[in-house]
Amino acid sequence: MTDQTSADTRAFRFTGTWQAYAPIAFTNLLLMIVTLGLYTFWARARTRRYLWSRTRFIDDRLEWTGSGLELFIGYVIAFFLFVLPFGLVNLGLQSAMMHGHPGAAGLLAILMYLTALYLIGVARFRALRYRLSRTLWHGIRGGSDAQGFAYGWSYFWKTFVSFLTIYLMTPWSMARLWNERWNAMSFGSLSFRSAARWQPVFGRFLLFYLLPVALVVAFGAMAAVMATNGVLDHTPGSVPTAKTVVTIVAAGLAFYVFFFGVLGLVAMTYFAAFFREAVGATSLGTLQFGFEASTRDWVLFYLGSLALVIVTFGVGAIFLPYRNWTFFIRHLAAYGEVELDTLLQSHTRAPGQGEGMLDAFDVGAF
Amino acid sequence: MSAPSDVDAGAPAAAAWHYDGRSALRRQVRLIVEGDGFRLDEDGRAGAWQAFAQLTPADGDGNARTFGLQGQPGWRIGFIGPVPAEIAVRLPRARRYGGWVDRFGLWRAAAAFAVLAAVAVALVLQTPALVARMVPASLERRLGEVMVGDFGRKGCVEPVGTAALAKLANRIDPDDPTLEVHVVKLPMVNAVTLPGGRIVIFDGLLQAARSPDEVAGVIGHEIGHVRGRDVMESLLRQLGLSVLLGGMEGHVGGYTNALLATAYSRGAEARADGYAIRLLADARVSPLPTAAFFDRLAKGNASGERMFAYIANHPLSADRAARFRRSAAGDAHYVPAIDTAEWLALRGICAGETDKMEWRF
Repeated sequence: MTDQTSADTRAFRFTGTWQAYAPIAFTNLLLMIVTLGLYTFWARARTRRYLWSRTRFIDDRLEWTGSGLELFIGYVIAFFLFVLPFGLVNLGLQSAMMHGHPGAAGLLAILMYLTALYLIGVARFRALRYRLSRTLWHGIRGGSDAQGFAYGWSYFWKTFVSFLTIYLMTPWSMARLWNERWNAMSFGSLSFRSAARWQPVFGRFLLFYLLPVALVVAFGAMAAVMATNGVLDHTPGSVPTAKTVVTIVAAGLAFYVFFFGVLGLVAMTYFAAFFREAVGATSLGTLQFGFEASTRDWVLFYLGSLALVIVTFGVGAIFLPYRNWTFFIRHLAAYGEVELDTLLQSHTRAPGQGEGMLDAFDVGAF
Repeated sequence: MSAPSDVDAGAPAAAAWHYDGRSALRRQVRLIVEGDGFRLDEDGRAGAWQAFAQLTPADGDGNARTFGLQGQPGWRIGFIGPVPAEIAVRLPRARRYGGWVDRFGLWRAAAAFAVLAAVAVALVLQTPALVARMVPASLERRLGEVMVGDFGRKGCVEPVGTAALAKLANRIDPDDPTLEVHVVKLPMVNAVTLPGGRIVIFDGLLQAARSPDEVAGVIGHEIGHVRGRDVMESLLRQLGLSVLLGGMEGHVGGYTNALLATAYSRGAEARADGYAIRLLADARVSPLPTAAFFDRLAKGNASGERMFAYIANHPLSADRAARFRRSAAGDAHYVPAIDTAEWLALRGICAGETDKMEWRF
């Protein structure tokens, strides 16, 4: 069966409800508490099994086949390979400082940072590869033949180039890395192809990039005007009046809220555009993907999550994976067909353990 | 679709869909029981025999009527209509929570885990006090060297001040020739005991103190930490807690860790105060200036301190002041810890160039 083209049926559909997910979230929380956090890995696997199983693509559900044990083993490996050595190097760093070798300590810190940069790249790649390898549709899984070590170098030097150009080349590095990551991935016998471009999103990035400068200049001008009008008049040595103090504090607070509010909003317009461009440039066989979330959608999604966590004093955080996944699926689109009789099982090597390194570096999904 | 062959006549059977894990085609099949296993019959062609024991369980939260096959990734079977009882009893039970929890049931497993967790936490909290005392002093000193080097010794060295400090330390604790007290030029009102039993007083405290007796009380308190092996104990407890709570999501683990650790540190602080009170009494130094010192600290942050008492790592300054004041004996003949000239010298211990930083590799 190949056709799925009627205009109002979407290729991706989420059929779960938060009410059905609630028992999973709360029993996960209970078990996490009584196992001092050890159950986290099994909780994550159970959440994913639920979310995947309620996600329909064309005519059938997805299935998550990863296990809590895999994620746990991934974490243990990451702990011994990275967390522990980094902890020891950190101790050495402190010790070098205390022993009066600030130069050596600085060198060690830079080396540690560079190593971490490379490893974050490897971890991002491997996390995506792991997730695809554990995602089943029609009995077919995804994966990648690459191990992610080459991607790690690419991530390393592209991030470095972006840093050298005072982050002006960030959209370029983001788009390139997205392409490299997805071009190395496959689903069954089909390869993903991605050709995301940085040019279409550069304008919005520039807006985000230059806004802080504009805001600081505007604030400086405002302060200058206030000073010449005598609002901030204050002879050195004398105690400022309550009115002056309140004015300054209120202005500072307003600036803070405005600065980060506006900056967050503009960052969101960039991110929304980047994600539309990146997902829209990705295809699998004859299947073309798209992502339809507007800036408004992202902002509402983000504010909703924030409100959920604050109103419930943090307990609502257990519903964030659910929210993240449904937001993603709700806006994900696919056009074209899948020819089922030519889609064969993947021959990529399935990784043995979970995304431990990504946990270790605290890097988010996708 | 159902074209019964001679082989399965009369055997229990059920309609099912099937993915073979090699291609994405969805097949309509009939599962036909044969002994301890089954065959999948597709359009009259019977497939290979598989044992029921090879089936892997379905997801209890998802479609509970789908099953996999061991050693064949992607192989799936799902029942379409009702499943005959003869087949249903041979299917593996759905998994939900994973491993042990599925086996024991949610509530029993949760209770068992809670008991184990309580025991583990109790062990990690209680054993450092015993273990810290078994760590040889020489080892602790070496550990201190590795961690902080000669941080404390690189402090202020103005000779007359150094002599006054030595005299003050000897006055409070004449029995310990290994005692090391140093002053570093930092503007904080604080004093610390480093691993290895080295005491460091910050210059800010000397400047904030109004008499040598106040400094004597603080040094006595730090000596209490050295004798109690408190630094070693807290290092061990931190290590244990960070391993134990390592699996918790970032902040939750960190906060729990800090909360448990500070509860213990308040106990250690109170004991160190008791030790200081005894040392002061033995040396015939009045505890009242130390009490006044804490009173001044308390005035600085009175309301805030009471509010954060549970998360503070020190007892309340006002309570500590009261305790020192109570310890003063009415008929005792107190002698200042050091004389005025020495006190002035001590406060000037950081005069001169002391905070030169060199780049060394």
